[in-house]
Amino acid sequence: MSNIPLDKLQDWSKQGHRTVMGDSLVMLAAEKPEMVTVTADLTPTARLVDFQEKYPDRFFDVGIAEQNLIDFSAGLAVEGLIPYAVDMAAIVPMRPAEQMRMALGYMNLNAKVISIEAGVRFGPLGNTHYGMDDIAVTRAIPNFTVMSPSDPLSIYKTIFAIAEHDGPVYVRLTGGPGFPIMYPEDFDFQIGKAVEYKEGSQVALISTGSMLGPAAEAAGTLEAKGISTRVVDMHTIKPLDTDMLDKVFAENRLIVTVEEHNCIGGLGSAVAEYKAGVEGAPRQVMASLGDEFKKIGDYKFKLKQSGLTAEDIAALAEANL
Amino acid sequence: MGTNTVEYIQEKCAVMRRDVIEMGYVAGGRGAHFGPALSSIEIVASLFFKVMNHDPKDPRWPERDRFVQSKGHACLSYYSALIESGYIDKKYMSTFKQDESFLSGHPSRNIEHGIEISSGSLGNGFGVACGMAKAAKIKNENHKVYCLVGDGECNEGIIWEAAMNAAKNNLGNLVAILDRNGVQLAGKTSDIMDVDLAAMWKAAGWDVAVVEDGNDLNQMIEALEAMKNSTVEKPHMVIANTTKGKGISYMEGSLNWHARAMDEEQYKQAVSDLEAAE
Ligand SMILES: Cc1ncc(C[n+]2csc(CCOP(=O)(O)OP(=O)(O)O)c2C)c(N)n1
Repeated sequence: MSNIPLDKLQDWSKQGHRTVMGDSLVMLAAEKPEMVTVTADLTPTARLVDFQEKYPDRFFDVGIAEQNLIDFSAGLAVEGLIPYAVDMAAIVPMRPAEQMRMALGYMNLNAKVISIEAGVRFGPLGNTHYGMDDIAVTRAIPNFTVMSPSDPLSIYKTIFAIAEHDGPVYVRLTGGPGFPIMYPEDFDFQIGKAVEYKEGSQVALISTGSMLGPAAEAAGTLEAKGISTRVVDMHTIKPLDTDMLDKVFAENRLIVTVEEHNCIGGLGSAVAEYKAGVEGAPRQVMASLGDEFKKIGDYKFKLKQSGLTAEDIAALAEANL
Repeated sequence: MGTNTVEYIQEKCAVMRRDVIEMGYVAGGRGAHFGPALSSIEIVASLFFKVMNHDPKDPRWPERDRFVQSKGHACLSYYSALIESGYIDKKYMSTFKQDESFLSGHPSRNIEHGIEISSGSLGNGFGVACGMAKAAKIKNENHKVYCLVGDGECNEGIIWEAAMNAAKNNLGNLVAILDRNGVQLAGKTSDIMDVDLAAMWKAAGWDVAVVEDGNDLNQMIEALEAMKNSTVEKPHMVIANTTKGKGISYMEGSLNWHARAMDEEQYKQAVSDLEAAE
């Protein structure tokens, strides 16, 4: 793993999460000879062309067959390779959910599953192409670690960190071309350890993935109105950083969870599940995609439609404080 | 529909290709699946203007033949057939992929406009079509179910699970058409999964016919009519050899036009290619 200079991060920010992942996999391959990449007919879409060219013997396309993507990867993992299975969040984990449970979770295999285009950035393609339920599905599989990094550098760090973690990991990627750089410099990134992105004593905005950007912006709006706002980047949803949550419960009056995911089973649910057992914990409201197949539209339109813009998040917090 | 002449349908194909380009261009930076739609124009036109028994004025007519586009990403060929046969008003063309439009990048069930089922996640449309054909048999209804699948789509396990079950149920009222354009998303179908599809469908228990040129209307109609009138009590498969991006010079057989945005120059070239062909 190396230090990523700012101009590289700027380029990645311009290109979007797929390129960050594709480049990071190539960089990781140079350091980890046992690591291989597997995909299901998504080589150009998932920006794996470079990887395929540089490491043709470590790259496998199973065809449009997502169940086999997982079982084949599992077989590689059984024999000591470290497969990174790459697909899109609308299809994986949903279609091969049972393969992920049986072959990866149950046997606690050292395989990584990465899904591009989680959430609703595939807006005009319609509901078959939205990844709205992937956190819910993977979180319910024992042994799985579930992650959703927020920006170029954190995606790069995730790709490297999970290679050192022995066990199945699901990574959902969000943030299209032009997604903001939230971490311009190196920072402490550990699986299962949330980042306190900004301190604050009244509201706590807890976000995951691409929602860190709007959450941080919303915090600025709230601060301008005199509302002290904490921002937490919960890049690992499972295992949940309960130390961070204990701190939030003790110090903040309102929690707003922010995620590009169904309101059922995602980050908001994970926080609420833990909170249920903590006496005197503060109230929580959720900003999410809701539980509905909504009309199609551009990414911006889709975020607005579900109240996931910075203004919407600030307004939700203010209204509930 | 059955009385239309080949010349008439040929003209429809030309208009449908033009519709595909217009809608895909309207989508702008959102892009469109041009190649997959253009390879399937003659297949879809043969069905909507000749082979299928249906009434655009009565989209809920119980006796209508059903069409399922399992390779849903090619929605533009489907939409253009629905537009040209009267299920969808032309005014909606400009809404393709726009905010709140019902013309999404993959078909979304909308009987009023002739869209029988939602598809776009590959393999599933075909499985559903098999169930629809079985339902017709259970209810003693005489209509047929037509289903368009992709050759890359045949990589999916669900295709073969459904294929075996359709054969077991003797679904002679089911006609699938395989758009064998030889290219999928990441490359040539022969590079990604090099299999003998005709042999595989036969082995699964299907009645298989191969159309040498699925972009030739006469060949396509002949094969589909034969399957429609067949008394063989097996599900029918028409493997149509087609060209991805058919009709647009720079798209034909290209690996680059599975899905992408079209710029103004490419648009002009596409229009002039289509005009030259008329
Ligand atoms: C289950 C599923 N996996 C992957 C995709 C992404 N995808 C869309 S089209 C396509 C290739 C389809 O190829 P083919 O069936 O040959 O159709 P063609 O485009 O050639 O008409 C892929 C992989 C999808 N839509 N659904």
